[in-house]
Amino acid sequence: MSDSVLVIGGGVCGIQASLDLGDKGYDVYLVEKKPSIGGRMALLDKVFPTNDCSICILAPKMITCFNHSKIEVITYAEVEKLQGRSGNFSVRVRKHSRYIDESKCTGCGSCAEECVLSNRIPNEWDEGLGKRAAVYIPFAQAVPRAALVDPESCLLFTKGKCKSKCLTACAREAIDFKMKDEIINLNVGSIIVATGLDIFDPTPVTEYGYGRFENVIHSMEYERLINAGGPTGGNLTRRSDGERPKRIAYIQCVGARDLKSGHPYCCSVCCMYATKDAMLAYMHNGDTENFIFYTDIRAFGRGFDEYIRRGRDEYKIKYIRARPGEITEDEKTKNLYIWYDDTESGGVKKLEVEMVVLSVAFVPPKGIEKLAKTLGVESDKFGFFKARDDLLAPMDTNVPGVFIAGACTRPMDVTDAVTQGGAAADRAAHEIEENRAKVEVKVGKER
Amino acid sequence: MAFEPRIIAFTCNWCAYAGADYAGVSRIQYPANVRIIRVMCSGRIEPAFILKAFESGADGVLVGGCHEADCHYKTGNMRAKEGVESTGRLLDLLGLGSDRLRIKWVNANEGEQFAEEITDFVKALKKLGPNPLKKARQRVLKAPSLDDSIESTNAMLCVECGKCTASCPVARRNPEFSPRKLVEYSLENLVSDLEKTDGIWECLTCATCEERCPFDVRFSDFIYQRRVASKEIRDNKVGTKSGLMYSWMRIMASEGIRQNRTSFTDGMRIKRSASSKNDIMYFVGCLPYYEISHSYIRPGSLDIAKNTISILNAAGITPVVLENECCCGHDLLAAGDTESFETLAKKNAKAIKEAGVRRVVFSCPEGYLTFSREYPRVIKNWDIDVMHITELTSKLLDEKKISFNKTLEMKVTYQDPCRLGRHMGIYEAPRKVINSIPGVELVEMKHSGADAICCGVSSWVLCGATSKCIQIDRLEEACSTGADALLTSCPKCLIHFRCALSGKVPTEREKPAIDVHDITSIIAKAMKAPGVKSTSEAKPISKTEKKKGKPVPTKKAAKKSPKAQESVKKKQG
Repeated sequence: MSDSVLVIGGGVCGIQASLDLGDKGYDVYLVEKKPSIGGRMALLDKVFPTNDCSICILAPKMITCFNHSKIEVITYAEVEKLQGRSGNFSVRVRKHSRYIDESKCTGCGSCAEECVLSNRIPNEWDEGLGKRAAVYIPFAQAVPRAALVDPESCLLFTKGKCKSKCLTACAREAIDFKMKDEIINLNVGSIIVATGLDIFDPTPVTEYGYGRFENVIHSMEYERLINAGGPTGGNLTRRSDGERPKRIAYIQCVGARDLKSGHPYCCSVCCMYATKDAMLAYMHNGDTENFIFYTDIRAFGRGFDEYIRRGRDEYKIKYIRARPGEITEDEKTKNLYIWYDDTESGGVKKLEVEMVVLSVAFVPPKGIEKLAKTLGVESDKFGFFKARDDLLAPMDTNVPGVFIAGACTRPMDVTDAVTQGGAAADRAAHEIEENRAKVEVKVGKER
Repeated sequence: MAFEPRIIAFTCNWCAYAGADYAGVSRIQYPANVRIIRVMCSGRIEPAFILKAFESGADGVLVGGCHEADCHYKTGNMRAKEGVESTGRLLDLLGLGSDRLRIKWVNANEGEQFAEEITDFVKALKKLGPNPLKKARQRVLKAPSLDDSIESTNAMLCVECGKCTASCPVARRNPEFSPRKLVEYSLENLVSDLEKTDGIWECLTCATCEERCPFDVRFSDFIYQRRVASKEIRDNKVGTKSGLMYSWMRIMASEGIRQNRTSFTDGMRIKRSASSKNDIMYFVGCLPYYEISHSYIRPGSLDIAKNTISILNAAGITPVVLENECCCGHDLLAAGDTESFETLAKKNAKAIKEAGVRRVVFSCPEGYLTFSREYPRVIKNWDIDVMHITELTSKLLDEKKISFNKTLEMKVTYQDPCRLGRHMGIYEAPRKVINSIPGVELVEMKHSGADAICCGVSSWVLCGATSKCIQIDRLEEACSTGADALLTSCPKCLIHFRCALSGKVPTEREKPAIDVHDITSIIAKAMKAPGVKSTSEAKPISKTEKKKGKPVPTKKAAKKSPKAQESVKKKQG
């Protein structure tokens, strides 16, 4: 019997679940695949419908979670094996080697500054738009604030030799190139899976030219570009010439509500975040004209419809009901022409803009099939985790003691992810109490 | 009762008709076997009219016009002469014989001559016997209802987002046409007579919209089905060249036809039936006919057929070429004549079965598409292995059955035909073949692969300013790549582009300076074929080899790569 809980996934949902459980007095292990907790929310600029700064409201939660006496945060780690059953799971976790001792590292960043590859490697935390070194801290607010070595770019690993200036730069002697992966065995009573989402790669949608045209970007790239902590320091600029775009188009439902891409579902948040993106562009530059090409406006949450109306009235966003057929590029100016059928007035039109943002679909995260197999949890036909009963047991899975929450179950916004995190925490605690009660009854009988 | 031939005489208003009239008022006797149709000028007589007469059962056709240099419209009679000559060649191919067609210059006072001509013609026709064509018995097929079409093509899933219309090459140039509106109006029951609108004929069925539609609405199928419901095709209102092609296609669907179409194969190694189940048949399609019907633009159609056979010969393959092969039926199906399509399919299926053929190669993507998608719907137990010549060539290159001996220093770009690309999902094979030719550099156009733009006409339905505009735009795009030549792998793309380059372009546009060729022409050129002698290893599959139990070298060639098959399945699904 174990009274502790394993939470897989350290995004806002997993953090909320951990905090709720920790506050109730349960021991929590929070396992995160990436080197920092925070998930996707930590990378966003603002969140709708309040336009709060995303990291500003998340960072306190990240820190609280990390410093919580009942929560052990294990980053850069993956669940490899699961045995046992509800009340008594044994879990094998592989913690990848950071080549840096987390307990010694202060996160000063000297190693990254001295690295010969400094500002040379595309930073995956910035969607590859910014550059980092081979040893780096993922982002400014990373928790734990500790550096890590990327063995795929570090010259010592790829070429076998390097001046290793980082070693001398590190006053704390935290760097250890001989560090090995660590296997951690955990014994837990219940498990919450909150692995979040990935975004759809729009490259196969060839008619929109993503990957071919420099000024066609997707919404996550946009978030990083407009984010003060991003690679451009919040200056929204075009990849082709570094200029600020004055006319921006946002194309909705790219890869979503699309039978052929395998994602026939609605992403449920793109209408809102595209409006937010357009508002941000207007706030940053003032004179930006924004066009949102939508199929249907689905603004169903509290304050959402008002938000869209504010976008239209106060931020002068033009909403056009059409899915563009094609985007072409002006080879000289690198401006983009959007060909669309204006379904309200009729007729094929051509709109010239300086930047296009594709509002891409939410898809199940990479590696979810493997995790589903490890845990024995069923997935739906799209790859999201499947609830035991969508109506009456939305947090439960086919495996007793394993619960699901957040965007790994379906596309959802921050509010829903937090709500689900809390709900799953409650279910996990309830499971432990039930198991405890069963044991007590059994023990009582024997007496 | 003795055979009395029926003759249709098209006579011009000014000379021939007046001549016939003169014969009448002068009471000159001649056989009463002729029905005269008066036209203003013999130049108005298009080959389509003549074929239509034969299709309808005429035993002979006479075109009468003014004497040379005497035409009321200066050169109308010369135009008639050219038309009659080429139609005669079509009649020879069809096996009807050009001697059933005559042209005669008759002056207004030459009643005598007119009567003599008719008398002589009747005599000749009596000797030739009646027109052998008999209308084949055809199953009456019910056209799908609008509701059926909406259901079966996923049109009911449409959310009217307009991605189709914004992708459509026609809608971009012709604001009247909108795929979205066609579907939307059908769904909302706003049109009671969709079939009478021009919309269903303006669609190129190029499947660009289908490729991009997020809800998988199969618009080409929708259009096909609505065309079946329309009977307009029967009136030849929508066919290019007044429906000439449809006429010969329907003649092929008749009973009693014995074509004479394979003279171009003289000197090449072909056979009439399969001696082994691995033998490959080459389905020539309508190429010999296009060579004549479009001779004025040098369509290069027969070259495609010849080059294809020489490629096969060079690989040691002796293809089966049928003497009485019929049109595959693609165009009639696309134009809504499902009855004739079915008849053609059954005739071809029977001939192929009789020839003992199990594998067919095509130089035309339309035949390929029709054999692999449409025939299984109408032919029971249809299990013929089909492939396009580019797929086969690619396989033969892999198996080192053929090689390129000649370096061609040229830069080319490639037009993906709608039928081969979007409809069949074959993009790689032609590119692989082009890239393996020494010295040839392939550059892609801005729109390539699944985004390729159609050549502007499909299935001989309509050809007008919009088509020409699409063609010129596409050729300009090809030009802007800096390529010396545009290659395609569809005989029809070739015809349509060459037509646009022949000067039939909107006056304010300049002709783009680029050559257009079929892919087979450069393959053959690089192989130095014809005249390439096969090596001993690459001999046709002989009986001795079979006995020895050697792996049959061409067996693999028939099968598509798993990837290609998968993409086909995806498309079909």
